[in-house]
Amino acid sequence: MTEPISRWSAAETIGKGVRAAPALRVGFITTLFLALVGAAGRVVIPILVQQAIDRGLTPKGGVDVAMVVRLGVIAFIVIAIATWAQRTAVYRLGRRSEEALYGLRVRLFEHIHRLSIADHSEERKGALVARVTSDVETLAQFFQWGGLAWLLDGTLMLLVAGVMLAYDWVLALVAFVVAAPLAFVLQRVQRHLVKAYDAARSRNAQVMTQISEVVAGAETLRAYQAGPRYAVRVKQTSHERSKSFIKAGSIGAFLFPSGEVFGVFTVSAVVIAGLIRGPDSGLTAGAMVGFIFLTYRFLEPIAEFTEVLDQTQTAVAGMRRVLGVLEIPVGPPEPEIPMSLPAGALAVTVDRVDFSYRTRGDADEPPVLLDVNVHIPAGQQVAVVGETGSGKTTLGRLIARLADPSAGFVLVGGVPLTRVSNADLRRRLTVVPQEPFLFEGTIAANLLFAMPNLHRVDLESAVVDLDLNDWLDTLPDGLDTEVGERGAQMSAGERQLVALVRASLVDPDVLVLDEATSSVDALTEVRLARALEKLASGRTTIAIAHRLSTSARADRVLVLDHGRLVEDGTHTELVQRGGTYSRMYDAWVAATSAG
Amino acid sequence: MDEGNRLRQASRLIRALLRHQKRTFVIACTGAAVFAACTVASAIVVRWMIDDVITPRFRDGHVGVGTVAMVLGTLILLGFVRAAGVVVRRTWAGRTAWGVTERLSAQVIDRLADQPVPWHRRQTTGDLITRAGVDAEASTAVLHPLPFASGVVVLVFLSSVWLLVTDIPLGLAAVGVFPLLIVLNVAYQRRVDRYYNSAQDELGRLSSAVHESFEGVVVVKSFGAEHRETERLAVIAGRLREARLGAVRLRSTFEALLDGVPNVVNIALLVAGAFRVRSGAMSVGELTSFIYLFTLLVFPLRLIGFTLSELPHSLAGWGRIRSLLDQPVEVDPITSLLRGTDNGVHVRDLHYSHDSEREVLTGVTAEIPAGRTVAVVGATGSGKTTLLHLIAGIIAPTQGSVTVPERGAEIVFQEAFLLAGTVLDNIDLGADVPPDAVELALQVAEAGFVHQLPQGLDTEIGERGVGLSGGQRQRLALTRALVRRPAVLLLDDTTSALDPTTEARVIANLRAALTSTTVVAVASRPSTIALADDVLYLVDGQVVAHGLHDELMANVPAYRELIEAFEHDRESHD
Repeated sequence: MTEPISRWSAAETIGKGVRAAPALRVGFITTLFLALVGAAGRVVIPILVQQAIDRGLTPKGGVDVAMVVRLGVIAFIVIAIATWAQRTAVYRLGRRSEEALYGLRVRLFEHIHRLSIADHSEERKGALVARVTSDVETLAQFFQWGGLAWLLDGTLMLLVAGVMLAYDWVLALVAFVVAAPLAFVLQRVQRHLVKAYDAARSRNAQVMTQISEVVAGAETLRAYQAGPRYAVRVKQTSHERSKSFIKAGSIGAFLFPSGEVFGVFTVSAVVIAGLIRGPDSGLTAGAMVGFIFLTYRFLEPIAEFTEVLDQTQTAVAGMRRVLGVLEIPVGPPEPEIPMSLPAGALAVTVDRVDFSYRTRGDADEPPVLLDVNVHIPAGQQVAVVGETGSGKTTLGRLIARLADPSAGFVLVGGVPLTRVSNADLRRRLTVVPQEPFLFEGTIAANLLFAMPNLHRVDLESAVVDLDLNDWLDTLPDGLDTEVGERGAQMSAGERQLVALVRASLVDPDVLVLDEATSSVDALTEVRLARALEKLASGRTTIAIAHRLSTSARADRVLVLDHGRLVEDGTHTELVQRGGTYSRMYDAWVAATSAG
Repeated sequence: MDEGNRLRQASRLIRALLRHQKRTFVIACTGAAVFAACTVASAIVVRWMIDDVITPRFRDGHVGVGTVAMVLGTLILLGFVRAAGVVVRRTWAGRTAWGVTERLSAQVIDRLADQPVPWHRRQTTGDLITRAGVDAEASTAVLHPLPFASGVVVLVFLSSVWLLVTDIPLGLAAVGVFPLLIVLNVAYQRRVDRYYNSAQDELGRLSSAVHESFEGVVVVKSFGAEHRETERLAVIAGRLREARLGAVRLRSTFEALLDGVPNVVNIALLVAGAFRVRSGAMSVGELTSFIYLFTLLVFPLRLIGFTLSELPHSLAGWGRIRSLLDQPVEVDPITSLLRGTDNGVHVRDLHYSHDSEREVLTGVTAEIPAGRTVAVVGATGSGKTTLLHLIAGIIAPTQGSVTVPERGAEIVFQEAFLLAGTVLDNIDLGADVPPDAVELALQVAEAGFVHQLPQGLDTEIGERGVGLSGGQRQRLALTRALVRRPAVLLLDDTTSALDPTTEARVIANLRAALTSTTVVAVASRPSTIALADDVLYLVDGQVVAHGLHDELMANVPAYRELIEAFEHDRESHD
């Protein structure tokens, strides 16, 4: 688990969960009442059998068919009402829980999108997706099966126990006492079962991993003639998987039969007790028979309950994780009294900024940025360079307010970013991320993502403005070309081109450009450079540079090293200075020239 | 789908699945039959208990202890046997299904290992992983409930016999209800599965949309689109909710009916039975046990529906597995290589195209003498990697020939693929390699960093080698080739992720250690190219020049321009 682990008890979690998804509470008492009425349908037959035997089939005056018919009619009416009530209760629970889960999902979407970029680190991304999908899904599964079982079987057991006590409390107590150990037996079986299935599932994951290696690594395995050897290994793991699933299945095979065994003992005990008490205690033959039916009815749901209990635990754990996400404070907060950004070109000031990623668990994360101070006048083109981990990408993100610094301020146009409304900032400042992300759909749809209200002509003229119409002409459907999942149909360079056009639509005053590391073909490279130059001109531009050819072209170069700003000057100055930058430059020159 | 056709398909599937697993299946079915027999027998005991134990005690005041002991003893014994039937059925049903799953997986895995690279390249990775991993399990899903379902058939048969033997008119009425209940169950299962399947599809769509949206969070945030994205996702979540609500509506009605209908039948039986009791045709015990048995049948009858709902998944999984296994194993391209007597590589008039598209190589001829180090240089798409793959024998030429030494060639790919396992597993790939050979290879590949890992060579490197940098992965992949002491070493830009200094050391080591090894290396860094003996310059699938780097720089203008472009646009190393 990557978010702060909430250590709430099950009851607290459920309480908070209901508050987070208030739809659950609506009309719950009515649903419960209807379920109770529905459960009545399941005790009708035992009561009917008892009544029929005592009053219609074995009275002293012979068989009274009319009485049995009358009883049958009453029973039929009760069944009809109970069936309707059960249907309504099940439907209400289902509808409320679906609405609650929908509400919870939407809350999670909104909350997660508003989290700081610091909470969206690579290693957390998977966890966040899992919260919204698989964890909410454990809740959905719970409501579909476990929650329903609680509602139907819970009310049934209560009702059956009540009827049994009403018939003959001595017999009822005998039945409860004899059946009680079943709960312990089932719990033990269940515990072994959960462990066995966990083991089986992890074996299964291992098989899946190894299979995907055989597929994804086919070329390597073939090239080294390791295919057959590796196949043997996968088959061994697959055999282990079968063994562990068979083991888990064998344990599970004891769940239902233990109910069966306890059932015959309980019925026997009830019969013996009833026979001993005899007719003098007021007990009748019909009541005895009815009681046997009731005993089976009472035991039926117990085996199911143990499975439900396990599912409930899973659901509570899922809910806890979901609530844990909702507890993470949302990212850069909106200012209470926003200040508007001045019109015209904007300067950027970074004032004594420190930054460290939120700590996870015990170890303190080392600071990513330490006491960074820099003033970038309006319209200046700045390149930020440094090795991987120097903090240059983070600096770009702080300037774009994708996260707030741990200490210090970032000012744009003289206004602290914490005082600028998000809407205002996004109109004036735009980021082009390192690996430009495209959504599945057409190029036009991806461009409109920046400004949904624009028209097609705006998109076309933006392409022309960046001198990219020759590129667009090479695409099969122009702006309507599908980019594929995550833009996979396009080359890395083309994705960057789309991202540049997308950024240009906003017409920002400040541009934060995280340069891509992936290499592109020569022609796209030329187009990118051209488009970039057009896009940057007249704007304050902060380029996070991975190629020293970019920094060589910039007005000014900032060099970061382990989170500190170590050098600041023009390319020529810094090369001559003989410091970090000149060493980086020498290495780059050596790498790119022969001999 | 046509019902008869469906049943024929189902029986074909089941026969095919059970071909090698008959014994366990028969044991499971026997368990289910024992369960069925005991269920009917327990109804007989209930009748016996009412007529011979309870009624005498409450009507006449006494009952023999012997009778009570007999009846209850039988009841308990039946309970144990019935429970044992369930244990046997479930355990052996699991053995059957997993036995078949394992066999299917093994067939698929063997086939994947046998198919050569060109076949693999035509497949989608995700699709293959699904077939090998998930479809085997899906095909056998139907085997889990199948023994129980066959037990239900026995149960229905025995119950009908007993009901009819006890009382023909009432028995006929009760037996007549069975088909009705089965039809109700099957109809419900079909319809509710449709909703569940569409909900499952919607959930899949929601998951990928959420994935996409969170992955693009920087874009979402930088355009201030948080709220718009939430709304977009909410629409998809809304569709999931609607699909689920459809299931809820159907389910609530049918579940209530499936409880209610048997209850109504029971009432009818009781009322009708009262007439039979009055006429003396039936005892109270017989009538009660009728009702008791009927109650016991309700759940097993539902199983027919469950089994049928697994069938489509199993048929689909089986179909996908068959289509994979039905493809014949293709000829291994390595057989297309000619074997020479020296350690050189001889390429003659080599043509290559994928699926008759544009030719990637159009008549490449090159003589690479033993022990030489040759750099293959060319723009993107000039056919460098294809040439290397042809020499390695992982693809076959459409025309022309490649002659390699008897021992073949070892290739190091552009992308270093690491398997889950230890560092050593990744170096030897399961083959026997002496430790000093590993040590030597590590030194040459400058991969001494492995000794700094927590457990040295025994350090587990995660799935696909997570935890190592690109440069480290490349050096490990190089080590993997070197331990095999290759006669010919093919390097496909395998030092691209190393910093220039390390790269230079690796190349110097290779030259010093592999004096008799022929090295063919795709290279795009001028510093790397300069370290080779010769350069093979490719343009659009043809050799334009083959000679010393300096000569080519002086005499081939296009080559000089390409190298200058490399110099200009190479990334710095950070």
